[in-house]
Amino acid sequence: MSGFAVFARKEAREILRTWRIWVLPGILLFFALTGPVLARFTPEIVGALAGDQLKGLLIPTPTYHDAYTQWIKNLSQIALFALIIIYGNIISSERRSGTAVLVLTKPVSRTAFIIAKAAVHSAFLAILVVAGSLLTWGLTAAVFRQAPGSALWSSALVWLVFGVLFITLMTLLSVLIGSAAGAAGAGLGTYALVSIAAIWKPLGTYLPAALATVPSSLAAGKDVAVLWPVLTSLLLAAVLVALATLAFRRSDL
Amino acid sequence: MSASIRTTGLTKVYGEKHALDSVDLVVEEGSIFGFLGPNGAGKTTTLRVLTGLARPTSGSVQILGHDVASAANSVRAQIGFLPDVPGFYEWMSAEEFLRFAGGLFGIGRRVLDERLGMLLDLAGLGDVKTKIGGYSRGMKQRLGVAQALVNAPKLLLLDEPTSALDPMGRKDVLDMLISLRGRTTVFFSTHILADVERVCDTVAILDRGRVVAQAPIDELKARYAEQKVVVEVTGGADQLAEEIGRQPWVTTVARGSNGAIEITVKDVRAAQQEIPAMIADLQLGLSRMEAGEMGLEEVFVKLVGGEQP
Repeated sequence: MSGFAVFARKEAREILRTWRIWVLPGILLFFALTGPVLARFTPEIVGALAGDQLKGLLIPTPTYHDAYTQWIKNLSQIALFALIIIYGNIISSERRSGTAVLVLTKPVSRTAFIIAKAAVHSAFLAILVVAGSLLTWGLTAAVFRQAPGSALWSSALVWLVFGVLFITLMTLLSVLIGSAAGAAGAGLGTYALVSIAAIWKPLGTYLPAALATVPSSLAAGKDVAVLWPVLTSLLLAAVLVALATLAFRRSDL
Repeated sequence: MSASIRTTGLTKVYGEKHALDSVDLVVEEGSIFGFLGPNGAGKTTTLRVLTGLARPTSGSVQILGHDVASAANSVRAQIGFLPDVPGFYEWMSAEEFLRFAGGLFGIGRRVLDERLGMLLDLAGLGDVKTKIGGYSRGMKQRLGVAQALVNAPKLLLLDEPTSALDPMGRKDVLDMLISLRGRTTVFFSTHILADVERVCDTVAILDRGRVVAQAPIDELKARYAEQKVVVEVTGGADQLAEEIGRQPWVTTVARGSNGAIEITVKDVRAAQQEIPAMIADLQLGLSRMEAGEMGLEEVFVKLVGGEQP
């Protein structure tokens, strides 16, 4: 087994045996369990809370699209914020604790170190998104009696590309910024910029910024072009990993 | 015999500070090489450059005949390294970490199984089942030594390997280093001069980023031993010391244990001829007079300008 494979396996075992197995999965599980139920009973909840204040206001009858949109919005906001914060130390923690020194004085290249980290955590995110989407799908079918899969899976998979893009961004930021909080702050700032950029049509149509809004549109059943933003996002993710590798190779440990 | 480590004009600059200033080192294959220096002399920086963790500002580094910057995995496969404060994945046990380290070297399961028992015994961790997060610093240091040996390296680089160990652990590690003599080249930095005197055959002393001495340890001590004379008299030692201190061939005069006079001299022959005459003139009794061996500590203090390690 190559050094890359051994290190990647270590990374996977580390997820399973440390706090990482609880935090992001816990957040996604919570949203997957509550999203469809909240979507179904939103009119009743709003009515109970508002009393007579909203009398006369017509609240549309919720559909399975509302459950899907709820799931995707939660992924796009709170789950993405959590991801940015959690991965603020994806590289710097190994440098600070000295574990990177012991690994990188063995036959593991710095390139392999970075790629293994980005690949394993992207795979981890993919598993979580698929598991959460399955749960959302099942609960939506139970609550709404119908749950066509295409809107859910197209939106979830497109969001996954966005999530992977942010994992690669945090990998780069964690190489460049030694402080986990500093890297997380830079990641959140980038997210804010991306969200604003998505408003401008050229960026919001062809470039990765589009993925800030496209998944919600897909979940709502709208017909949205996703090919270009997905392709440019995957390309950008590869560029970010390459930059992280370059910066890591040039830095002293 | 070829060199396992050869640095030429090795320089490392951080901002305005020269951490290493044109360091030339040659470590012969199979030797046990002690790397001494006061705090901040540049020992850890040297080891970081030798292992490829840091890049030199200028100069060249050859490890096992290959340039360290370009050799990458093929060279690292033949090196064992223990940093000054080893960092481990705290959720692993000692055995898991050694298996992980062995896996990174591509060592097969059967060979690894054979080595693990020996290495865990060496580290005194054979019966310890807890996770590394619960280990003391000494336990981590011993595990660090074990992981550095997991690939049966040709070159073992150790940064302060005995600094966190109790006397028994220290003895075990030094005995292990001695057992490697001739088979593995050992390069280790330390503050503990007694360790160097016990196990090393060659030593280099680093001061403010510069190598101020590099020689086989016996040669280094002999070079300075010629310049020291120890005299014991039956009485009147203070008067004799004062008289000796006035001679032109004397560098320093100090009082050692049991009233002995320790004289550092520029001309040993003049001292050997004139000191007995002085004793006779002062009508004192001579108990002992010998060319005293200058210990490594004294050599170290002399070379680094009085700074203690």
